Amino acid sequence: MSGSEERTPLRVEGLSLLTSRDILLDRLSFAVEPGEVLALSGDAGAGKTLLLRALASLAPKGITVLGDIHIRGRRILVTQDGALDPLRPLGAQFTELLAHQSGMDERTALRRAAEALERFQVPAAARRLALHPHELGEAMRWRAALALAMAAEPALLLADAPAAALDPTQRVRLLSDLAAWTREAGTALLLAGRPQPDPIQADPVHSGLADRRLILAQGRLEAPEEEPTPAPPPVEPAPSGPPILSVRDLRVAFPLGRSWRGEERWLTVVDGLSIELAEGETLALLGETGSGKSVLARAILRLVPPVGGQVSWLGTDLAAAPPEAMRRARRDLQILFPDPLAALDPLMTIGAQLAETLESLRPTRSPADRAARMAEALEEVGLPTAVLDLHPGSLRPAEAARAGLARALLPEPRLLVCDEPAATLDGAERADFLALLQAIRRRRRLALLYATQDAAEGLRMARRGLVLLLGRIVESADSAVLAAGARHPYSRALVAAAGLVRPALHGDPPSPLRPPTGCALRLRCPLAHDGCAQVPPSLDPVAPGHRVACHVAQDEAQDGAQSGGKAP
Amino acid sequence: MHGPAGTDSHWRDGPWQKAGQRLTAHRPAAAGLTVLAALMLAVAAGLVAGGGPVGAALAAGHQSLTFALFAGLGGAALGLLWAATAVALGERAERAMMTPATALTGLPLALALPLAGGLLGPERGLAPMAVVTALIAAPAVAVVARDELRALLRREFLSAAQAAGIANGRRLRRHILPNAVLPLAAAAWTALPRALMAESLASLLGLGLPEGVTGWGTAIGAAARAGDAVALAGPALLLALTLWALHGVGDGMRLAFSTTGGHR
Repeated sequence: MSGSEERTPLRVEGLSLLTSRDILLDRLSFAVEPGEVLALSGDAGAGKTLLLRALASLAPKGITVLGDIHIRGRRILVTQDGALDPLRPLGAQFTELLAHQSGMDERTALRRAAEALERFQVPAAARRLALHPHELGEAMRWRAALALAMAAEPALLLADAPAAALDPTQRVRLLSDLAAWTREAGTALLLAGRPQPDPIQADPVHSGLADRRLILAQGRLEAPEEEPTPAPPPVEPAPSGPPILSVRDLRVAFPLGRSWRGEERWLTVVDGLSIELAEGETLALLGETGSGKSVLARAILRLVPPVGGQVSWLGTDLAAAPPEAMRRARRDLQILFPDPLAALDPLMTIGAQLAETLESLRPTRSPADRAARMAEALEEVGLPTAVLDLHPGSLRPAEAARAGLARALLPEPRLLVCDEPAATLDGAERADFLALLQAIRRRRRLALLYATQDAAEGLRMARRGLVLLLGRIVESADSAVLAAGARHPYSRALVAAAGLVRPALHGDPPSPLRPPTGCALRLRCPLAHDGCAQVPPSLDPVAPGHRVACHVAQDEAQDGAQSGGKAP
Repeated sequence: MHGPAGTDSHWRDGPWQKAGQRLTAHRPAAAGLTVLAALMLAVAAGLVAGGGPVGAALAAGHQSLTFALFAGLGGAALGLLWAATAVALGERAERAMMTPATALTGLPLALALPLAGGLLGPERGLAPMAVVTALIAAPAVAVVARDELRALLRREFLSAAQAAGIANGRRLRRHILPNAVLPLAAAAWTALPRALMAESLASLLGLGLPEGVTGWGTAIGAAARAGDAVALAGPALLLALTLWALHGVGDGMRLAFSTTGGHR
């Protein structure tokens, strides 16, 4: 045995996991070297979690483990929920683990804990050690969980879908910090789950997040094939003509009751937004959680009542529309929900729900015609007609997403509003669904409003992109421009995170209840200067068809214009 | 595309069947249902056959269970009405109506029944006692039912129905009411053990069921005063068993049907 093999923290040879009936994992062999980051991906249910548990000797009961697992040094498994003890402050958890693992006394352990948190850019780390896990935000809890694991100096860190619930901007930053640290410390890192939000474009190896990538499929490990770069979508001519949808100064806010001084308090989610959409135009709404994209999508369909502004469809103001006009507008405006299964009534069959939609929006159709329409819509989304007799409970997520799409297509809409329609889908299913959506949109010449956190996906689906931050537009440009040269630091961070490159934003998003003065991004922005705290930037053009709300970007654009158009 | 999920024989089972399966999959609930059914039969048989300490205990069970059933149903209806009215009247009215309900659930309301029994005197009728028991059981039902209704109204399929242009009345009939049945049934069930418990406690003190009506509580109280261990054991065991079964079924219903507290 050579010296390098002696040092390999994890070497697996012919590992199989069996139940009495099935082979779950079939003769896996791989190794992770010190300081190497191995990304392990695979569809939901491929056995990633099971493999990690088996490597940590925590395989569930009733599972037989065959083959050899050689582990040198200490191994630590960070589970999917990033579990910390809810009853004890962070500091106590660090001291206990470090005392147990390395026999460290309390002072040293606390110092080590603060250093570990600082590696993840936790501000005022020493003070946070007195907090309990529930007093931390989700992002902070993940930083603490990973810092706790790394503070123990493991030779092998097994991380199961870490921070999967966080926004891409925060998740990618966290994972980059973790990978940088494990490389520096010589820890082998096995990163399971789907660190890549998008299976086609973002590859953790290309972006430098991981050194190697393995795919778990049908119980076997496969090296990723060289995927051909997807052909760039055919450039569609910019749709012209008068806008069919026009949103002016839309404001959505929710009352929070009164403060102790008797002032009404409001949570403003959409703050004076204006959009125009022409026939057949596609527009992506990009932003982190809480940016207001989903509420905006719903406010356009009047599923959420706005407190101000106007939404007009084909010149009709929807707020003032009589029921009959509203019904006609609903026929044209349809929506896809983020959780398609939850958007179906669990007690009614799919057929009954499709029929109900058709009956309500196209009441003049004859029953025979309705049945034919339903069959057509199902065929269009690739579902068998047998689905009509099923209840939503017996559908898989991919089928539910297609059933939701079929329901939206039934009344023959002209605008499809999509609120993260593929959020519940993974891997190939997600790619298939989005391709289907794109194909149907082209065939039917639908206008599309596509809200998503994943900038790459949004910009691929739509010709134009709007970036939202705390209910306001901060950048608006063509997708190609945004993807290649976004001007706003927030847009750049979204695009970087979608490509699994560490986004340059500090800290966590501010609370929408107390947004910072001036620019909403200034506390996280790497470019912020004193002026940013004074005045909120307005949305001004920096190039034809490209508008940005950022003091720095606007100054740069001006300088560029003055010095002969050499904008950076 | 793949075929419809699964090819096993259950794939066509409707949501109601699945809810039933979830309920009986919870062991205490299944055991509780069995025990309750057996008790009903035994009480009916005891009424017919009678005689002996067992027959007496079963006969007392008839009075106790009937009273608990009527008072509990009354309390459940009151609680559901309370919650539904609060939710229907809008946010401000809801807060005004639910704050007292929440406050009342924190009080030892069961003590109000012997108090009422004492105030009404020995000539008290069954009906006023049943009304007081219903009032005792109602606030807890109202609090749980309100939470369930709120959770239901937030569910996405109601937005989807709105996007499909379905009018409010139809949305209520076709989507909200059917989906409210099971969670509200789980909320309402809690009134039954509460009513039985309150009545038995009051009767034990001699301040519950009126003279001439012998429930389990009355029988236990009489046996305890007479120091008759054999007469005490029957009703006490039956009462404990019934309460356990009622709670077991209630837990199962909450886990299987609830959209807020259950693990689904």
